[in-house]
Amino acid sequence: MKSIRYTSSPLLASRTPVWRSKFIVAGLAVAFLGLTGRAAYVQVFGNAFFQKQGDQRVLRTLELPASRGRIFDRNGLLLASSVVAPSIWAIPEDVKADQGELRQLAKLLNMPLKDLQHKLGEEDRSFVWIKRQVDQSVAQQIADLKIAGVHQRKEYKRVYPEGEAAAHVIGFTDVENKGLEGVERSFDRRLAGREGSRRVIKDRLGRVVEEVGEEVPPVDGQDIQLSIDSKIQFFAYQKVRDAVVAHKAKSGSVVVLDSVTGEVLALANYPSYAPDDRRHLSGAQLRNIALTDTFEPGSVMKPITVATALELGRVTPQTLINTSPGSYQLDRYTVRDTHNYGTLTVEGVIQKSSNIGALKIAQRLSPKEMWNVYTALGYGRKPELDFPGAATGRLRPWKSWKPVEQATMAYGYGLSGSLFQMVHSYTALAHDGTVIPATLLRSTEGQPAAGMRVFSAKTASDVRKMLHLVTGPGGTGQLAQTVGYSVGGKTGTARKQQGKGYAAHKYRAWFVGIAPIEQPRIIVGVMVDEPSNGTYFGGTVAAPVFSDVVQQTLRIKGVPPDMAVKPEILTQKVEESF
Amino acid sequence: MTRLSIVLLAALMFSAMYLVKVQYESRQLVMQIERARAEARTLATQRRQLEVEKRAQATSLRVERLAHDKLAMRPVTPAITEYVTPGAARPAPAGSRP
Repeated sequence: MKSIRYTSSPLLASRTPVWRSKFIVAGLAVAFLGLTGRAAYVQVFGNAFFQKQGDQRVLRTLELPASRGRIFDRNGLLLASSVVAPSIWAIPEDVKADQGELRQLAKLLNMPLKDLQHKLGEEDRSFVWIKRQVDQSVAQQIADLKIAGVHQRKEYKRVYPEGEAAAHVIGFTDVENKGLEGVERSFDRRLAGREGSRRVIKDRLGRVVEEVGEEVPPVDGQDIQLSIDSKIQFFAYQKVRDAVVAHKAKSGSVVVLDSVTGEVLALANYPSYAPDDRRHLSGAQLRNIALTDTFEPGSVMKPITVATALELGRVTPQTLINTSPGSYQLDRYTVRDTHNYGTLTVEGVIQKSSNIGALKIAQRLSPKEMWNVYTALGYGRKPELDFPGAATGRLRPWKSWKPVEQATMAYGYGLSGSLFQMVHSYTALAHDGTVIPATLLRSTEGQPAAGMRVFSAKTASDVRKMLHLVTGPGGTGQLAQTVGYSVGGKTGTARKQQGKGYAAHKYRAWFVGIAPIEQPRIIVGVMVDEPSNGTYFGGTVAAPVFSDVVQQTLRIKGVPPDMAVKPEILTQKVEESF
Repeated sequence: MTRLSIVLLAALMFSAMYLVKVQYESRQLVMQIERARAEARTLATQRRQLEVEKRAQATSLRVERLAHDKLAMRPVTPAITEYVTPGAARPAPAGSRP
């Protein structure tokens, strides 16, 4: 084979001009310079931009959700907790679903197909919530439909196992888990956690492959243990509900306070609401009537007036007060009793609930003395209770009292307070003369609360005896009696205020009492608003509820009965053999 | 000199390969941790859910209704309770003070 001799190629024989090689070299040099420049731009001048672009593609900030604290009752039973409830959202223009799929989706979400189509019809929006916080099982079924453009976001929802029975105490949160009412609101800061976050690198498949930098750990919300006993709460709610229904009343409230520790054991109102169901979270039913509605305490004030007079030594339990002829002229006003009781002892004034008696006792006191006691007992002051919207009530400064006002205040008119304030003021009588602070949080077991002394122990005990007489023969609150436990309390009935005067046929009935009377454990207040089924007296409408609630509460708390009971069980004597 | 260069080059190559391997392994481990963490979270939320469900089965309302309707029970009163004092020789008669 004959090889070509390149060296002798005539093409190569000609002389190459030097500029050509130089041109090539220069060209290459420029190209390299270009590359160097680009490298410098990428790595030095434009570095931040490229770093950002790179990070955007692989670096992710993951939110670490913090769970909201749970709420327990005094026995550790769950009252509120957060559970996973995914929210369904969509990108309308991405949604590709036929009519059948949409119908299925609408059915799962329990919403009309029209609404769903309307939401998905908003083409110009790139994000739309279809439904927030659905049940996890429903969310799973929706995920199984695999509709393009429909997504889920993991969210948490509050559930309240006790439902409407404890709704007013516990309250509820909004869809973003922020407390709006009740304990959820007042303890929001403690309950709410703080979300954490961390930076990670994710691979093409979305798996976390590396952590970057420091992780900010989430802080879970604190759990809260309330003083509420869910069993007592339930009974109280049930009893007041039954009473409101039976008496065709507008509303009703019950407050149960532990008179030893100051803990609120139950606080129930009817009508109530189901806090789980967001559709009904508006309107008057949300009001915690026991704390927010104020009214004139009426006869409930008489024992306090008497206690003040006893404490200052102006009367003794046996001092005689002339109440005849059943009416009393004071300036332009006439004060009346329901009957002419003649001459009564101080005890009798309480037992018969004589307005004139209370007025005459108050005439032995100065306005300042009365004001001091009322204020010390919490009237006209905001309750020191961690609760939103607790009413202050009204108690004017004593300097502006006219004699007629001082007289009417002695039997509970001309000042106002909430049912809770009335119940709380009775701690002075139940706790041997000291007012103790009320709390919604569980206190340490068996620790009696320290309080402020208003009356001596003897005065408190004397007034308790008078309260016991009210529930005995000849008293106005006999229906408050229970089986096995001695009780004492005061009934109250008043025409409701309307505008500047009093409404003709609208009444409010209440009962505030203590049990057991010798060694008090609980104070219970019951109020029924506008009973309109024939009877409207505190002694007939509210006292039976008091009786039921006391009976159940003392049983649940394991308090042994302090009165002899006729047993209904027959104990068989059985010879034991070994 | 050349021999040293070859040894160093080999060492460098080995080190580079090892780095890749370790990096790969570390990513695998991170992924495993992630998976385990996710599972722990799922289990924790499930636990909460179940606690709530358990509680919902035992609310006072439900217990009261079942006891009353199904078992025909009635609330206890002191009249049908025999109070016993611990340490006492004989149980106190019903309704009396312990």
